Amino acid sequence: MNLSSSYLLSLTTFIYLGAAALYMIHWIFRVRQVGILATVVTVGGFLVQTAGIILRWKESYHLGYGHAPLSNLYESLVFFSWVTILVYLVIEWRVKKRVIGAFATPFASLAMAYASFSPSVADSIEPLIPALQSNWLLAHVITCFLGYASFAVACGLGIMYLIKMRSAHHEEVPESVTGSLPQLKVLDDLMHQTIIFGFLWLSVGIITGAVWANQAWGTYWSWDPKETWSLITWFIYATALHARFVRGWAGQRIAWLSIVGFLSVIFTYFGVNFLLSGLHSYGSG
Amino acid sequence: MKKSTTHSQENPVIRFFSSVRLAIFLLIALALTSIIGTVIPQGQSQQFYLDNFGPGMSKLTKILHLNDTYHSWWYLSLLALFSTNLIVCTLKRLPFTLKLFKKDNLAVRSDYLTRMPYKRIWRVRDGVLDNARIQKLLSTFQEKAGSFQKRSNVDGGTLFLVERGKWSYWGLYGVHLSILIIFLGALFGSFYGFKGRIMLMEGETTDHAVRFDTAAPIPLGFSIRCDHFFVSFYENGAPKEFRSDLTILENGKEILHKAILVNDPLEYKGITFYQASYQAIPEVTVKVVSSEGAQRSFIIPAFQKVSWPESGMTLALLKYIPNIHGVPAARVWVGDGTGQGHALWVLQGRTEQYNRGNTTYKLSLVSASQRYMTGLQVKKDPGVWVVWLGCTALILGFAIVFWIPHRRSWLWVGPKDGEMQVILSGQTNKNKIHFEKDFRELEDSINSVLGTNK
Repeated sequence: MNLSSSYLLSLTTFIYLGAAALYMIHWIFRVRQVGILATVVTVGGFLVQTAGIILRWKESYHLGYGHAPLSNLYESLVFFSWVTILVYLVIEWRVKKRVIGAFATPFASLAMAYASFSPSVADSIEPLIPALQSNWLLAHVITCFLGYASFAVACGLGIMYLIKMRSAHHEEVPESVTGSLPQLKVLDDLMHQTIIFGFLWLSVGIITGAVWANQAWGTYWSWDPKETWSLITWFIYATALHARFVRGWAGQRIAWLSIVGFLSVIFTYFGVNFLLSGLHSYGSG
Repeated sequence: MKKSTTHSQENPVIRFFSSVRLAIFLLIALALTSIIGTVIPQGQSQQFYLDNFGPGMSKLTKILHLNDTYHSWWYLSLLALFSTNLIVCTLKRLPFTLKLFKKDNLAVRSDYLTRMPYKRIWRVRDGVLDNARIQKLLSTFQEKAGSFQKRSNVDGGTLFLVERGKWSYWGLYGVHLSILIIFLGALFGSFYGFKGRIMLMEGETTDHAVRFDTAAPIPLGFSIRCDHFFVSFYENGAPKEFRSDLTILENGKEILHKAILVNDPLEYKGITFYQASYQAIPEVTVKVVSSEGAQRSFIIPAFQKVSWPESGMTLALLKYIPNIHGVPAARVWVGDGTGQGHALWVLQGRTEQYNRGNTTYKLSLVSASQRYMTGLQVKKDPGVWVVWLGCTALILGFAIVFWIPHRRSWLWVGPKDGEMQVILSGQTNKNKIHFEKDFRELEDSINSVLGTNK
């Protein structure tokens, strides 16, 4: 069978779904070997996906368009999932806590599943329209998605934090489901670090977008719904960062903010395209 | 940095404007109110809001300027309050940071060092540390931690200090000031710049643009001509390239040529021209043969009337369709000069008849072509470089605030509690995990120096 990028990327979807399931099993049943297997599967999926992305890039040259695979919803979902796995694997490698995988890899699996199975997401390779023919495309998309992926992981950490907090006997019973989650202090610190990382990249993403808009349309900021929602997201995470300086705002509130922040990311990513365009079009219809 | 110095006699106004709580309130308020302008369509007429939202909401829209939310008095007030908060907060923290920055970290007592988060004390058993070992100790310290400052007679011993990234306290100021710089750049640009448009037919020249906001003409100070406009498409019908070949003229002399693309504008004397839109203007050639024997061909461009004085006839192009049943077709209006007339479809390859009085005219479409009109967005924004400066400072500031730690490592050597002691201690204000790893390495190296030839 001829190896194509769409084959590799569909395969990735199943591998990531499997990895997420393995991480869940590892967390709930606390079997160490399953956790190791989950990591192996995730790394394998990541390699397959990387190959798929590179192949898609090459295929676009064969079609005569020749552009990085970052130009439409399908390609952005694939890239989002790729960066999420990358950010997660770095955290796993540094913190050595595989339980986090149960809360991080589902984001990547869901993104891939949506990209692969939704009939509204076209996976064909299309040529670039004039507005997208710029080197800023690469810089803008990569930086934004580094931010988005970090926020996805931070949201997973926030959910873990709240689950851990809600259980009354979190510290005492290490063999319970919530007991196997990392300590609140560790989660809080990781959440903070991940938000910082995401916030920096979101800022760079907004700025590269502004530079690009200035070059293509002659205005670096036009309060278009996408721009405005990225700024709303930025405000939410700026709140989370400042909240740590005020006593009494640690932990739980930041966990909530990381969840609300990620909802805002999702809205910036999809909602603006699907809902606000609808809101705007009813007026003209 | 986390604890602010609160004095009881502090001015409550200053305390209010400098508080992090106000910053958090403003960030949340900005996040929430920014949603409004993405949900309510912006820049529409009053009638639009009345039709779509009813009289109540329409009135609210007018009072709160929700048709232009981000330039409304209340949104700008929030931004002004945000800026005030930033400025007051910065000024208030300045003396505190200066103190931190100027702090002499060699002016510490040995007891203080033993209370640090990272520490190790060696008691030298035989009570003496010969010069050779001290030298070895110091060279190890220097090798692992960096070049050090030294102070003698600290609690009867000698203190060595390696300090890194003390300047990183200024990163936070960089971040906060950069946001003010971005605001200033935006303000400067809005006062001393403009945004407008130019529509130019191929071959046309203009010396002014039209402002977006007031529709007033703005002189450019030079002329610009569109030599050609090109548009091309991919096989799937999506646009591939929009291109305008432009020429800048001053006093009738050609200064420069440039082909602009959507992502590749032309800048001249601080004014930038962007490829924004285009219109295809059709132009048809129609041949008219009169039953009285006269005949003539006319080139009829869109939006223009062409007349045939001898016969009292006027011709105009109402509509042009490049392809009907495989041939081009033009809807031509034929007037008799009195305002009366008749519109007819003229398809290429066929003749259409038009009767006026006893005369019959036969019209045929000889050829059709398109001329292009390019739409340029014109901008002058002297503040844009200030905005980019602010953006650069913001990112550099973030990198410093988040990742450059202020690290201190002390080494004290001297007699204490009746024996020779070596105290190693350290402190960092961020990235504790990394610092701890480095500290343990340093500790092991020193241990091997002091541990050998006991």
